[in-house]
Order: sequence, then C-alpha cells, then structure tokens
Amino acid sequence: MSRDSAAAPGVRIRGLTVVYKTPAGELPAVSGVDLTLAPGTITGVVGESGSGKSTLALSLLNAVQPPGRISAGSVEIDGLGDVLALGGEELRRARGRKVGYVFQAAQNSLNPLKTIGKQLLDLGRSHDVDDLRELVRDAKGLLARMGLDGARVLDSHQHELSGGMRQRVGIMLALVLNAQVVVLDEPTTALDMITQATILRIIREVHEERALTTLVITHDVGAVAEVADSLAVMYGGRVVEHGPIAEVLGGPRHPYTQGLIRAIPRLSGDISLARALPGRPPTLGTLPVAGCVFRERCDRRMEICDTVEPEPVTHDGRTVSCHATGRPSPAVKRREYA
Amino acid sequence: MITGTAITKTFRQRGSVLGKRDVPALRGVDFAIERGGAVSFIGESGCGKTTLGRIIAGLETYDSGEIVIDGTPMSSLSHHRRQPYFRRIQLIHQDPYSALNPTRTIHQTLEAPLRLRARQTGRPRSWVDGRAEELLSLVGIDPGYVLPRYPHQLSGGMRQRVVIARALTMDPEMLVADEAVSMIDVSLRLGILGLLRDLRERLHVSVLFITHDIATARYIGDEGEVYVIYRGQVIERGPTETIIADPVHPYTQSLLSAIPVLHGLERPGSEQVVPTEALDEGQADAGCLFARRCPFSTDRCENERPVLSGDGTVQLHACFHPRRRSVIPQGVHT
Repeated sequence: MSRDSAAAPGVRIRGLTVVYKTPAGELPAVSGVDLTLAPGTITGVVGESGSGKSTLALSLLNAVQPPGRISAGSVEIDGLGDVLALGGEELRRARGRKVGYVFQAAQNSLNPLKTIGKQLLDLGRSHDVDDLRELVRDAKGLLARMGLDGARVLDSHQHELSGGMRQRVGIMLALVLNAQVVVLDEPTTALDMITQATILRIIREVHEERALTTLVITHDVGAVAEVADSLAVMYGGRVVEHGPIAEVLGGPRHPYTQGLIRAIPRLSGDISLARALPGRPPTLGTLPVAGCVFRERCDRRMEICDTVEPEPVTHDGRTVSCHATGRPSPAVKRREYA
Repeated sequence: MITGTAITKTFRQRGSVLGKRDVPALRGVDFAIERGGAVSFIGESGCGKTTLGRIIAGLETYDSGEIVIDGTPMSSLSHHRRQPYFRRIQLIHQDPYSALNPTRTIHQTLEAPLRLRARQTGRPRSWVDGRAEELLSLVGIDPGYVLPRYPHQLSGGMRQRVVIARALTMDPEMLVADEAVSMIDVSLRLGILGLLRDLRERLHVSVLFITHDIATARYIGDEGEVYVIYRGQVIERGPTETIIADPVHPYTQSLLSAIPVLHGLERPGSEQVVPTEALDEGQADAGCLFARRCPFSTDRCENERPVLSGDGTVQLHACFHPRRRSVIPQGVHT
C-alpha cells in the first residue's frame, strides 16, 4: 500500500485546559497544554497516574465526560478544524472517520453480546457506509495484515479472543473507516511481553503503511521508546518536556524526566544507580495552585519555583518547562545526567 | 527453607460444548527457596507461575508431588496441622487497590491480624498498637499519617506498603509477591522493590517474586535465582544475572528480546529471537513444549521432551540445542 505521506494531517493542541468538578471546586487535570503532533509521526505521551494523559487523549475527540469539562484551548486537526468547536452530528462523524481511538483495555470496549463482525457492521451503518461488503473486506485485510484470520475473528465474540487479539481488533475498528489521526490509550497494558512486542511492531508498520498521525498514551516509557518519533512527558497536567525520543531519553533536561528514566528497572547496567523518585505523584487535590507542580519532588528546586510557574521554552527542538534548565547558558551544550 | 518436588496441577474446564477439558497448569515443577533468599518466577500469563505461587502460599491444592517446609513434608500432616506452616508464608497481591478493605482504616486493617498474633504468642493487647507503628515505619511510611486514614486516601505505592506491612503482622518467613509492582507508578516501583530487598536483609525474610517483567527481578537483591516457566514447565533456571545476561534457552531469549529498547540510552542486542505466533496450545504433544514456536526447533524437539538439566553447572535448561545469544539491550553511555 503506498499513500502519499504528505496526506497525513497535523494536530495542534493550544492552551488546552480541562477541569474536573470536585467538592473543592473545579480543579484542572490538564492545564494550558501546547502540543504539536507533526504530520506522519508517532508521538508518545508518557505520564504517571493523575498526570492528565488520558484526559488529554480524550480531548482529541472532544469526548471529556462530566464531571470533566474542557474550559479553554483548541485542538486543530488538518482537514477538520477545531475539534472543540464541533458538536452533535458533525462531531459524531469526525470520530471514527477522521480520528480513530483505540481504548485502554480493548476487552472492555467491545460488546460481549455481539460478534466482532456485527459490531463492525454497526460501526459501518452508524457512519453511513454505502458498501458494507467492502467494509468487511477492508476489515479482513487489516486483520490479516496484523497476522489474524479475519473471517474467524469477525465470527467470534470478544471472550473467544486473547488479549493480544482483542487489542488488534481495537486497532482494526479504529482504522477501518480510514481515520488518519489515531489515538492509542495504553495499547500494551496488561499484555504479555512477547505480545506487547508484536503489537508495537504492528502499530509502527500500520502507521507507516497508512500514513497516519499517531498519538500513543502510556505510563510505560518502554512501550513508546520502541515506536515513537517524539516523546512528551506529562506531570501534574502539564507537558514538562517534549522532543525527539532518542534525545529525550538519552539526555533528559527536565528533572522529572531525569528522575523517571533513572527509576526504570533495566536489564543491563548498574543496579545501584537506579532509584525511585522521592515523594509521590500529585492528585487533583494536592496540586499546588502557584509555582512549579514538580517542585516538591525536585532535586534542583529554587526559590522562584514556589511562586512562578515555569513557561515552556523551546531550544534545539526540545521544549522544557523548568526554571533550572529552561534557559540553558551557551556554555552548557550538553548536560549529562548522574 | 521450602522445597517442592515434582509438583503437578491440572485444571479441569467444564461447561464447554466439547465437554470436559484438562488444562495442565504445572507439569512436575521442582523448586527450593532458602531462608532469606530470593526466587523469581518469570513467564507469560497462563504459564502457571501464579498457580505455583498460590500452591506455595497454601492457597491452592496440587495433584501430586511434595512440599517440604523446614524439613516437614506437608503430605504427612492433616489439613489442620498444615496451617501453622503456611501462616509463615504470606501473599502480597498484585492490586493494592482491591487488597485493602475500603471501609476500614489502616489502623483497623492492621489491628485484627495483630490481635490474633498477640493471642498466639501470649503478648498483651497493649503490644498491638506499638507493633502496628513499628511495622509501618519498617515499610517506610509515617504511622501518624497513615494509621487513621482509609485506603482511598493513600497513593498506590503507599497502599502496597500497607499491604506488605499487613503481611508482616504474621512474622512470616517468606513473602510471595505476585506482580507486586506492576500496578505501581513507574517512579515509585524501585521503592517497593528496594523495600523487598531491605526486608530480606534486615528480617531475613525470603521473597518469592512472580512477574512477567524480568528486569524488576534484578532489583530485589543479591543471590537471587530466576525460574523461567513455560506452559507449566521450568525451562531455564539459574542466578538472576546469569539468566538475564547469558540465557541459553530460546524461550528465555524470546522473552528478553521482547523487552523494549530505550533508544538513545540503549542499543538492541545483536541476536534477537522472535518466536513464531502461538498455535493451538490445547493439544497434547510429546515433544518440547516450545518446539512449535521455536525458530531453532528440529525433528528431535518435535518428538522428545527435554528435561531440566545443567551438566553440573548452576544454570539449568530444558533444551536440546542450548546456545548463548546476545539478546538484551546494552547501554550506549558505558
């Protein structure tokens, strides 16, 4: 399959703020996030529980559910416009046709009472697909591409499929209407190592063959390190660092990214160098109102961090929000981490 | 010290249209866990590692074989007389969010088993509160903060520490940690692994660590041993660092090859092993259990099952064609 890779749409998220209504008032889960997904690339978003990564992903579909509410910002997708300005029927059509979404734990997003084939036909009818036969042919093609027997899978109920097979069904359903922007939320969580490696390879190959713009949301740096072109690190509802993946992993600049990478259990290297980050991830209720959200766990905390929130600063194609590293002096070209 | 010999377990599936179906979960497994030692069971879901862990914790029966705890064969005891032995082995669940009763404060959660323990050991009631604080300090959390709170007020990492503290109320000789860090945030995982390592060193507790993530097995302390389990059979076994750096079984090599490479920090190993897609595994086969997925299988593998052996070394394998391959990622900086 050869499609013009220039056809892949770009996605620009600007000033996105999503608040959740709580007894303590409306608290921001995502706060003023700017993130650009370059056309035809895979962007990985990594963050811990409560970092706002899943809320960010749902915003791409304008699908944040109450008590959540998108209170500010825009999500511009080429050929579609601002998703946040869409509503009703227009929005419903965009979901699936333009933006495909592979849900976390695909087993919970499939209907247990219907065969996969019936759910595929439902999807086709709800999007006014004229030629359902062709839709089924496309679906079988995609499943075969991912190493499954299409006819057998379409005749199966979800409980007859393994975790890795369901995840592939999820990817098929997200792509079968020719969506060009695909969001995968924790695509490999709860999968075995070998299955995970297979799914990651499939994501990369399908991404390239169909000229997609892909966003992968995960808590596991390893799961995106293998496939992504660029990596955005989220903490407390902010993107604290964003850049080409090998550079972010090889020379992280934000203290949180540095700590996170140091905390990954690895197969090789000195065990004694690895350590957990002190403190714990913030929750909606414990996020500081002013200043840097990471300062409580930071080893480079300064006075200014208590009062002023660091602005994202772009330098060498890397965007970092940190008072300590945001404005690198010309003398320090490359910073080694301990 | 706990040893097991030729443990087998078969689950019988009922209710399918085809009638009964036997699913062998364990096909004759031997193990030995020293006091203060660390053993990791590695494998994919369905390989039998959790079943084996539950058998060792006394929560599951086995069909044949023998478990010996501190020199006493369990088969010689009645169900009732076995209980004190299995009480020395405590299980830590995977999910710290469902392992704690949400309607009880941490104080109440720890108080109940500690009262039982006080009765068993003839200590006064007043011992209970002090012990609860001691245990929480031991697992690295502030008792004053945690004791009056409910589980939902704590983070996942803290909850897992509370679960470990609760397991310690019984003064166990061994902790069975089943995927104990897989639901913990990445930045806090090493903290829990470090705690298990600490408990080994300070209390001389042995740790049975069950996981699908081999890398974490390196972090529970020195002199650990890894058992790689495939479809109910131990297919490779040896010191943790040896199994990770120099595996000889193609299945171990497949597992290690599947671990993602952190580009920029690491480069992939030069001889990655990718298994073929799993076929129908329900059929009984006489040969090596991994033969159909193994890229290196021969006629002999199809017809004969290799047994775990080591030619006199500490690294045991069940393979007719063992060969070292460089599969794990190597650091770029060093």
